[in-house]
Amino acid sequence: MRHGKYRFIVGFLALPLLLYGIFVISPFVQAFQISTTEWSGLRGTAKSVGLGNYGKLLHSDEFWNALKHNVVMLVLVPIVTLALGLFFAFMLNVGGRSRRGAVITGVRGATFYKFVYFFPQVISITIISVIWFNIYNPDPHDGMLNSLLGALGLDSLQSAWLGEGSVALACIMLVMVWANVGFYVVLFSAAMATIPRDIYEAALLDGAGRSQTFFRITLPLLWDTVQTGWVYMGIIAMDAFALVQIMSVNMGGPDGATDVVPLRLYLTAFRDSQFGYAAAMGVAMLVVTLLFAVLTMRFARRERIEY
Amino acid sequence: MGSTSEVGRRDLVKRAAALGILAVPAMGALSSCATGGGGGSQDGTKNKGATSAKNPLGVKNGVSLEAFIFKGGLGDQYAKDAEADYNKTYGTTVKHTGTQQIGPKLQPRFAGGNPPDLIDNSGADHLDMNTLSAQGQLQDLTALLDAPSIDDPKKKVRDTLYPSTIEKGQHKDTFDVFYYAFTVYGTWYSHKLLKDKGWAYPTSFDEMISLCAEIKKAGIAPWTYPGKYPYYVHFNVFAQIAKIGGLDKWIAIDNLEPGAWTSNDAVKQVIGHYEELAAKGYFLEGSQGLTHIQSQTAWTRGKAAFIPNGSWVENEAAPTTPADFDMAVGPLFNGGTGDKMPHGTLRAEPSEPFIVAKGGKNPLGGMELLRIMLSKKHAQNFATKVKSLTSVQGATDGMQLSPGLASAAKTVKEGGKNLLMIQLQEWYPKLTDEKLGGLTSQLLTGELKAAEWIKKAQQYADEVAKDSSVTKFHRAT
Amino acid sequence: MTTRTTAARPRRNSEGGTLNVFSHGMLVVWALMVGMPLLWVLWSSFKSSGDILTSPWSLPGKLHFENWVNAWEKANIGKMFLNTLIVVGGSLTGTMVLGSMAGYVLARFQFPGNRLVYYLFVAGMSFPVFMLVIPLFFVLRDFPGVPLLATYQGLIAVYIAYSLPFTVFFMTAFFRTLPTSVAEAAMIDGASHARTFFQVMLPMAKPGLISVGIFNFLGQWNQYLLPMVLNQDEDKYVLTQGLANLALQQGYQGDWGGLMAGMMIAMLPVLLVYVIFQRQVQAGLTAGALK
Repeated sequence: MRHGKYRFIVGFLALPLLLYGIFVISPFVQAFQISTTEWSGLRGTAKSVGLGNYGKLLHSDEFWNALKHNVVMLVLVPIVTLALGLFFAFMLNVGGRSRRGAVITGVRGATFYKFVYFFPQVISITIISVIWFNIYNPDPHDGMLNSLLGALGLDSLQSAWLGEGSVALACIMLVMVWANVGFYVVLFSAAMATIPRDIYEAALLDGAGRSQTFFRITLPLLWDTVQTGWVYMGIIAMDAFALVQIMSVNMGGPDGATDVVPLRLYLTAFRDSQFGYAAAMGVAMLVVTLLFAVLTMRFARRERIEY
Repeated sequence: MGSTSEVGRRDLVKRAAALGILAVPAMGALSSCATGGGGGSQDGTKNKGATSAKNPLGVKNGVSLEAFIFKGGLGDQYAKDAEADYNKTYGTTVKHTGTQQIGPKLQPRFAGGNPPDLIDNSGADHLDMNTLSAQGQLQDLTALLDAPSIDDPKKKVRDTLYPSTIEKGQHKDTFDVFYYAFTVYGTWYSHKLLKDKGWAYPTSFDEMISLCAEIKKAGIAPWTYPGKYPYYVHFNVFAQIAKIGGLDKWIAIDNLEPGAWTSNDAVKQVIGHYEELAAKGYFLEGSQGLTHIQSQTAWTRGKAAFIPNGSWVENEAAPTTPADFDMAVGPLFNGGTGDKMPHGTLRAEPSEPFIVAKGGKNPLGGMELLRIMLSKKHAQNFATKVKSLTSVQGATDGMQLSPGLASAAKTVKEGGKNLLMIQLQEWYPKLTDEKLGGLTSQLLTGELKAAEWIKKAQQYADEVAKDSSVTKFHRAT
Repeated sequence: MTTRTTAARPRRNSEGGTLNVFSHGMLVVWALMVGMPLLWVLWSSFKSSGDILTSPWSLPGKLHFENWVNAWEKANIGKMFLNTLIVVGGSLTGTMVLGSMAGYVLARFQFPGNRLVYYLFVAGMSFPVFMLVIPLFFVLRDFPGVPLLATYQGLIAVYIAYSLPFTVFFMTAFFRTLPTSVAEAAMIDGASHARTFFQVMLPMAKPGLISVGIFNFLGQWNQYLLPMVLNQDEDKYVLTQGLANLALQQGYQGDWGGLMAGMMIAMLPVLLVYVIFQRQVQAGLTAGALK
């Protein structure tokens, strides 16, 4: 029995571990080694510089600037996305007027909303970037957003968007939120649908309002799902690369206002041919992501509510 | 470099990969071995056949050839046309790839030791040629320069070119980059717009400022620029500094000499001029967020009068350019009486770098394809297809040219010997595009003062000069 | 909405009125925010490039069908679609099988090194792909016996490897929540570990599988960097690569109409699949939400 068990364990873990070891772990380890060299990427001499690249990193304003934006995204994007997702999901499932004798019901057209909100999820990030780049066209007449604002008489709100240092990062974060809210609406809706109706009804009988219902029943019961979503959103926020690369002004501009570490890494490697230094940035990103994961798991250790 | 070392190497890499302990220095050494592998000689004469008058380089019949062509504003049809001629002569079919991503696609192939033969290394994602050259990956193209030209066997290829093509294509003493096109940079405008309004193309900064006031009064923005790529503005800014302050002082900037920016009065004048343009609101609203296409569209539609650009703009903006637009380019402006270079000076220099990979299968074929492209037939085809000049002198003489190209050719002719070449952007793209570009985008929105721009530019240049990981270059002329 | 009525009819709190208007307004606004840009791509795909750039909101004056023809001919979207289907189909299947196997073992069996293996996988979620691509290229090129560079099998293997961390993380958590009694009963009946897994546990885990499968599908479908570096044969291009190519190309050539049409062609099949299977997609997420 014991022997069979270990054979089974080995049998089941061998192939996944093999693939993972060859294609993820081994390049990962090599990347660490690259980060201790000065290497131009192509064949030839990688010069060992020890921890020199890390020292350079610590003193690089560019790097800290980019990292700061990643952290801002890491905090804001999940919060806003999940909050909107929860709000919409709550509206769609619980927010409706009583009708057809049902006490707890979603708003009219809930199925349709869920259907539409999910759309951006099935669209390639490249397409999303191109679409939003056009929306943010800064021309007061040719730009989609600007001309809309103009037509509504809100000329004062017109902006150069991605060209405006103070709002450019927010513009990019908005696209991330836009692209992901639908996923969480569907996810949270599904979770809410599993909450027994009588719990809501009991709450309503006690005279609880909708917001109270949300914070005292829905949110606690959904906590695990929110957690999963948080981790997933965090990963997305750390990799804003495609959006920033395609949309931002002057690659991470104006003047570094939208720079993120993956872009810095990409440019350092593929434009400046400094693969050692770029690898050091990769390692730094790893540290940040690990910190995020650890904090999330800490935070996640909350008692589950059983029902 | 036999098959044993190949097997041994593979074995090593395999084991190292499985264990995840592949040391990088070892990898470098191993892959340098790989590049030379395959049994051929390393002097770039792999697959050499017999030479003849028609075939001076000795291309072997029937040997395959692979061309990787940047497919940007110029498209890649012009290269395909030349390849068709090559196919006919040498009984093969050139494997052609047209792409926008030269670097990401070829970086691994160079590392893997199987690069294509001829590469048009252009666009935003190009390969770092300095590194390639330093590593001996590039074929020395001197043999091509000394080969007879296709049109006149008595004339060497070398003698048909603009001299700056040969100058610019050197790394140390080796000529290994062939700049096929010839790009004219400057201030572009609609000749028709100026004529209709009775405005004259300004000859000096002062005239520009007063004309801008008039243009603005007429309800048109004097200038626009692609804020998404602020280095477009540098096409004019850098050349203007060289024109006013003299080429030697610009060379000091190219060479990253200490105080080269701050000690040059021309810098103060030029940056000050742009500060004034910004302060007076002479840039089209929203320009700071426009792409090259968007800003060009605003310009071809008459929303702005001037745009800093290169001669590829005519081809690129063709879909939105009105038939009677009459595109034109003008020379640099006078700063004052103390200018070091005369009126008519402009930045015009070789562009569209072609390289032949030494480690490719058919380096001689790569050179031969270039020689075909340098024939009058294909140089003219290039001018017709993509509305751009080539490095072949006078190839377009007597041709019916499109308005923008005709204007570019005329401006170059009038410039005579006063054609400027700027290296800073080619050599230190991070400095110019990212760091100075960031400054310029703020300068043009009025967020940054000229004095601040200059101070920071010097600081950034000094940082690059001190950074040992950045490969340095030097020019004397 | 399937709600069951109860005899009790509690009084609805009256904060409803204005809040309802506001909330419903938000729903409509968001629906427009999502729907409009997509409709915009659709109608722009029939406009001339000049019109797209200069009057973005206008409807096409004349229908420029040639945009679609251009996009189809230049961009070779059908072939790229097929490539994507093959790669994502293969890697998704592989990911699900291998991921749930590993997750099951890690969730249900105590053995020395269990935690180590688990954290090794979980740590992978935080590996930035950027730092891995160059070494990864060499691993693929020098893999003994099997050509992996710019091949379907190479991409599939890499996609699986890079999807394993999240899948193992998710499936381990999922298997932990399943009741142990059923498996124990099967074992007592004499079933082997492997049989118990495939015949008892896997069907029980179906909701979790569907759920993580959707996560993985979206992730692999949108993968951009890996194919860019590892899949340079134009015949093997996947959609993300091809679309980026197209976007760049149009950026240089100014053919925005063609770009819009190309984007529509790339989007339509996925949108269609989503429209047809939306119930299943949403139901799949339910499973993830349960636990």
